[in-house]
Amino acid sequence: MIHDTQMDYYGTPLATCSSDRSVKIFGVCNGGQILIADLRGHEGPVWQVAWAHPMYGNILASCSYDRKVIIWREENGTWEKSHEHAGHDSSVNSVCWAPHDYGLILACGSSDGAISLLTYTGEGQWEVKKINNAHTIGCNAVSWAPAVVPGSLVDQPSGQKPNYIKKFASGGCDNLIKLWKEEEDGQWKEEQKLEAHSDWVQDVAWAPSIGLSTSTIASCSQDGRVFIWTCDDASGNTWSPKLLHKFSDVMWHVSWSITANILAVSGGDNKELQMQPQIDHLP
Amino acid sequence: MEKMSRVTTALGGSVLTGRTMHCHLDAPANAISVCRDAAQVVVAGRSIFKIYAIEEEQFVEKLNLRVGRKPSLNLSCADVVWHQMDENLLATAATNGVVVTWNLGRPSRNKQDQLFTEHKRTVNKVCFHPTEAHVLLSGSQDGFMKCFDLRRKDSVSTFSGQSESVRDVQFSIRDYFTFASTFENGNVQLWDIRRPDRCERMFTAHNGPVFCCDWHPEDRGWLATGGRDKMVKVWDMTTHRAKEMHCVQTIASVARVKWRPECRHHLATCSMMVDHNIYVWDVRRPFVPAAMFEEHRDVTTGIAWRHPHDPSFLLSGSKDSSLCQHLFRDASQPVERANPEGLCYGLFGDLAFAAKESLVAAESGRKPYTGDRRHPIFFKRKLDPAEPFAGLASSALSVFETEPGGGAMRWFVDTAERYALAGRPLAELCDHNAKVARELGRNQVAQTWTMLRTIYCSPGLLPTANLSHSMGKGGSCGLQLMNSFNLKDMAPGLGSETRLDRSKGDARSDTVLLDSSATLITNEDNEETEGSDVPADYLLGDVEGEDDELYLLDPEHTHPEEPECVLLQEAFPLRHEIVDTPPGPEHLQDKADSPHVSGSEADVASLAPVDSSFSLLSVSHALYDSRLPPDFFSVLVRDMLHFYAEQGDVQMAVSVLIVLGERVRKDIDEQTQEHWYTSYIDLLQRFRLWNVSNEVVKLSTSRAVSCLNQASTTLHVNCSHCKRPMSSRGWVCDRCHRCASMCAVCHHVVKGLFVWCQGCSHGGHLQHIMKWLEGSSHCPAGCGHLCEYS
Repeated sequence: MIHDTQMDYYGTPLATCSSDRSVKIFGVCNGGQILIADLRGHEGPVWQVAWAHPMYGNILASCSYDRKVIIWREENGTWEKSHEHAGHDSSVNSVCWAPHDYGLILACGSSDGAISLLTYTGEGQWEVKKINNAHTIGCNAVSWAPAVVPGSLVDQPSGQKPNYIKKFASGGCDNLIKLWKEEEDGQWKEEQKLEAHSDWVQDVAWAPSIGLSTSTIASCSQDGRVFIWTCDDASGNTWSPKLLHKFSDVMWHVSWSITANILAVSGGDNKELQMQPQIDHLP
Repeated sequence: MEKMSRVTTALGGSVLTGRTMHCHLDAPANAISVCRDAAQVVVAGRSIFKIYAIEEEQFVEKLNLRVGRKPSLNLSCADVVWHQMDENLLATAATNGVVVTWNLGRPSRNKQDQLFTEHKRTVNKVCFHPTEAHVLLSGSQDGFMKCFDLRRKDSVSTFSGQSESVRDVQFSIRDYFTFASTFENGNVQLWDIRRPDRCERMFTAHNGPVFCCDWHPEDRGWLATGGRDKMVKVWDMTTHRAKEMHCVQTIASVARVKWRPECRHHLATCSMMVDHNIYVWDVRRPFVPAAMFEEHRDVTTGIAWRHPHDPSFLLSGSKDSSLCQHLFRDASQPVERANPEGLCYGLFGDLAFAAKESLVAAESGRKPYTGDRRHPIFFKRKLDPAEPFAGLASSALSVFETEPGGGAMRWFVDTAERYALAGRPLAELCDHNAKVARELGRNQVAQTWTMLRTIYCSPGLLPTANLSHSMGKGGSCGLQLMNSFNLKDMAPGLGSETRLDRSKGDARSDTVLLDSSATLITNEDNEETEGSDVPADYLLGDVEGEDDELYLLDPEHTHPEEPECVLLQEAFPLRHEIVDTPPGPEHLQDKADSPHVSGSEADVASLAPVDSSFSLLSVSHALYDSRLPPDFFSVLVRDMLHFYAEQGDVQMAVSVLIVLGERVRKDIDEQTQEHWYTSYIDLLQRFRLWNVSNEVVKLSTSRAVSCLNQASTTLHVNCSHCKRPMSSRGWVCDRCHRCASMCAVCHHVVKGLFVWCQGCSHGGHLQHIMKWLEGSSHCPAGCGHLCEYS
């Protein structure tokens, strides 16, 4: 059973992961598809895959029930395991790469309730930061906020890295969506708690900020509801939920189009499937 | 068979109740076994051998079988089994190789009944015949299996596996004479109890030791085996060759496997190391456990279903010295948490979607939402096509395209490639872009471009004048940009001059221009009435955005009448074209979009394409007549840009921003502009439109954006005297306190293009060096080097 599909930055290769422990990469061209790679290395069902920005090369992260996160890298046409992170005590449910501006940072949400952040420090080394007990019972989804430079009008001395505020959202079994922000000392702190769902949050997706002044997050839950959260406020503290739709069944996924005006949602049980791309009219 | 069914009925009446609970044992358990009444459980270990009663709320210790002052090794149990027909009969396998039977009916404290000391090494497993009261089977580390008749003092027969240690022996439930045995070398053997000379069948089941096996309680031929290779395999033994039916992959080596009663496809496993959990698997879903019990803190050593016909109670003993009763409904169910669907929005607006096959099959019959055309172009994969259940465990992956062929974002790529953003007069740019948009069926966008043209390109000029006027405009814009860019491009190249201030650069270019046409500037205001003056305009465009715009509109006011006919000739047919050929999609689009328009921007709504040609004209006329202030439009344009950006069409916003340049720039806050630029550039890069993206970067007026082109190239310069790296950004070296970049010819500091010989690192102004080299090929600094320049 395929648990996740992800297209890469350029929309061509498609990565899928499955409970048969495999991660597969397909090339999609003109209505056909070729299996490019079949990555074996996990010892349990693979829940999610994520492509890193191509400026770092072809890198794919996958997370699995076997409590591991594997980072795969393509070199000279062959895919190989480049790093294995085994820092979780339970199934790792979600992986998401940070915007490329921050460097190679991977957020992983696990059923042990923790979220770990892997930062590439060069020469094959990864630094691990862990947010323990981020969500009680477990974390199901993580999604990074697009990179925004605070007060971009302020003149940045050239050559110096802009001072990004790193943020991401996570959804968990405590029915909450939490927003996390990196403090100046590099520690992650819970910034916001968004409460509206009445059951496990299955997926969160932070909308790409293309031409929009507001921040937007979509979330879906076991309770069948899909919410759109918006924040107009510059400080990022007031989020207002808007119920997009209440479906009769579990909603598993939300996914934004790149221009952030179409949201695809999917869910359903054995009998029913809903897929409802819908244009979201932002205020 | 007959006896078996009697047992069943005897047990059938009782109803099990209880809850998830555990009790602490004094020592680690090695094995457990349940009495046939489902109310007692025996726990055996190296230093424990007790019977517990399973009560509603708790376990109650009932009997300690470990008696005597100095317990013998015979009491150190590796395995224990309770007879399924005789409630008083138990057998244990001791680590010293002794097989002991126990009779609970004995009146004395010591219930030990018989001792069989035939095995030479640890006995791993004992097993009673399911229907024959007196037959006991044992399997030992020494590689032998022995069958005992409890009415006799020694074994009836000995079976030699002819291979390594025996890990498990199990009587077949349905075949009276058959038993299976598993070995450390990965083999499974099938024996007929009457034929001790050789096994009926042997096959290699696992890679590495096979630790356990279990016959299916109902299916005659099914045998489940578990091994160190972390797999549980289900074999169909009825066929000529053992056929692998299912293979479950666990995350640790499998120590015990037990079929779940009343659930044909379920089995429970526990592991030997690492993993302390007990899993219940559906063999048809080989990767995700159906249920998981996480109570134990150390390796689980024994598992047993409490009642052979009750699927919800599972008992377990563990190395953590605890005995647990698990209720199936309290188990965590990873399957329920497993996400059955994958969904991803592709770059080109296509949707990759993977779901259970059954779902997709059902879906194909349903009507998709309107406007969508689906092209499932992907593949199907089945794990086991024979099973009706297979749908649950396999997925179909489809890629849906919102439009046949190109995908929904095709327009974006086309538009980006074909738009003209600079280098031509504004009117032409607008016309061109309108045409592009129209050809791509984006009529609203096309209309916008036409409107922009009407607003910003003065209809009050003769065609020629108009052309040159706009040319001047475009040229001035372009030139200004070129100037600033050239300077900026040079700056990092100089190394010593990296922080050349942009404003300074501008000022400089301005001065140059002023020098050449200073007189025109002074007269300019007066000369407006005499028609547009190209050089003057040129200059103004450079100096101040506001004046520029004012000036742009002014000619329209001053020549309202004269060129009217020209306007009609030129502009009207264009608009009529649009109005006359409104294809279906336009209406659709208008309908779809107009609500937002009217909702958010009343002004823009009046300009909405439905009746735009008229309203637009009237607006323009009104403008000419009433002489509205020049920023009348900029508000509209600003709102329009915001509108497009919020619609997700940041491309339009940026394109207009670039094309109109100074005319609108000041109306939109710089941060927003920068955001649009970066968003658009990011999008372009995703679509691999590097050239377009580069052009946009180049044309952008936002400083942060235009820096992007220069971000990745850095030049490190060494001092020409002391050969140390130049750390500061000046022209003076920190270390030797001398000017580093002196021209070897004129001995002045080079603040601009510096050319030097890579051999001797002497150099200077490009022109000076060029001139010098005409006469000599030696270094001008006199170092004697034969300089080489390429």
